[in-house]
Amino acid sequence: MKFLVVDDSATMRRIIVNSLQRIGYTDCVEAADGVEALERYSSAIGFIITDWNMPNMSGVDFARALRARDDGRAVPVLMVTTRSVRDDIVAAVAAGVNNYVVKPFTPQVLKEKIDALLTGAPVAAG
Amino acid sequence: MATNHVEDSLYDSEAALRLVDAALTELRDDGDEPFTDRAHRLSTTDASPIGLLGLSRILVRAYGEITNLLGNLRESRAMLEDAAVERLQHTHDKLREVSSATEVAATDILNRLETAVTLVDVLEAGDQPVRTTAAASLRDELFAMMAAMQFQDITAQQLNYASSVLVEMEQRMAQLARIFDPAAFGVVTGTPTAPTGAFDPAASTENADVRQAVADAIFDTNRRTG
Repeated sequence: MKFLVVDDSATMRRIIVNSLQRIGYTDCVEAADGVEALERYSSAIGFIITDWNMPNMSGVDFARALRARDDGRAVPVLMVTTRSVRDDIVAAVAAGVNNYVVKPFTPQVLKEKIDALLTGAPVAAG
Repeated sequence: MATNHVEDSLYDSEAALRLVDAALTELRDDGDEPFTDRAHRLSTTDASPIGLLGLSRILVRAYGEITNLLGNLRESRAMLEDAAVERLQHTHDKLREVSSATEVAATDILNRLETAVTLVDVLEAGDQPVRTTAAASLRDELFAMMAAMQFQDITAQQLNYASSVLVEMEQRMAQLARIFDPAAFGVVTGTPTAPTGAFDPAASTENADVRQAVADAIFDTNRRTG
């Protein structure tokens, strides 16, 4: 499965990509903001992990734009961000984000969220 | 009696005018020119630097400027209170968090490095089953160290926020200074550059599990009702 990792921080992209490799997902492409992510997205992408606060286009705006595309309606989108106030999370839901990981995260939490989205199983809280 | 009252008022008025005259004489010594002639001259001559007319104009102007200045002071105080206090305190808190986050991350990484060194010793000395277990543990420690590096992204956002507040404060201070002396402060050398890149003003390394629980609850509710 090909992952699209979107974050303006090169450090965070490396951490996320390494975490994915640790759990067996080695096919990753990266983007530094929502605009680049839209350019790099294709139907070959099976899972998207995106940050929120990014220049040019935020993660929420990227999710909204992705869902407006015919080929972007069904792909799982996991938001990984520092934003954690209720209104922000509700906005992410409204934009089409499927689940949410708060930074700093543990690799275990990331794995649980990815597994749940890929299997369609309910995600355990915390 | 009425006549005495009028005379007393006239006397008092004359006395007051003589006092004014004396004050004016102290300011401008124009010799032995009679008061009435001098007052008439001063009240009608624009050329005289001060004069009675000029003095009244100065007083009116000074009153207007003091009133204007008081208004500006009130406005500037309100601006400072509105913009500075809460945000500067929040910035101070965020900078303290940066110190704390870097210390916590550094300690965590050092601890794991010490554990990793111990595991390397086990790898060198142990037999195969022990080495396999030690290698797995070592790999866990190394990945955990990578995860600890998240502090860099979070502290970068905190510092960018602090920088943006300082830039805004600088711009507001320059605005305030221009109110008082546009000639001196009208030109600001250099343009403050706001930090590039987006950031979360509330970014934090603290209480991640609590914040994650909030997100999980919202998404769980959305799934149940969706």
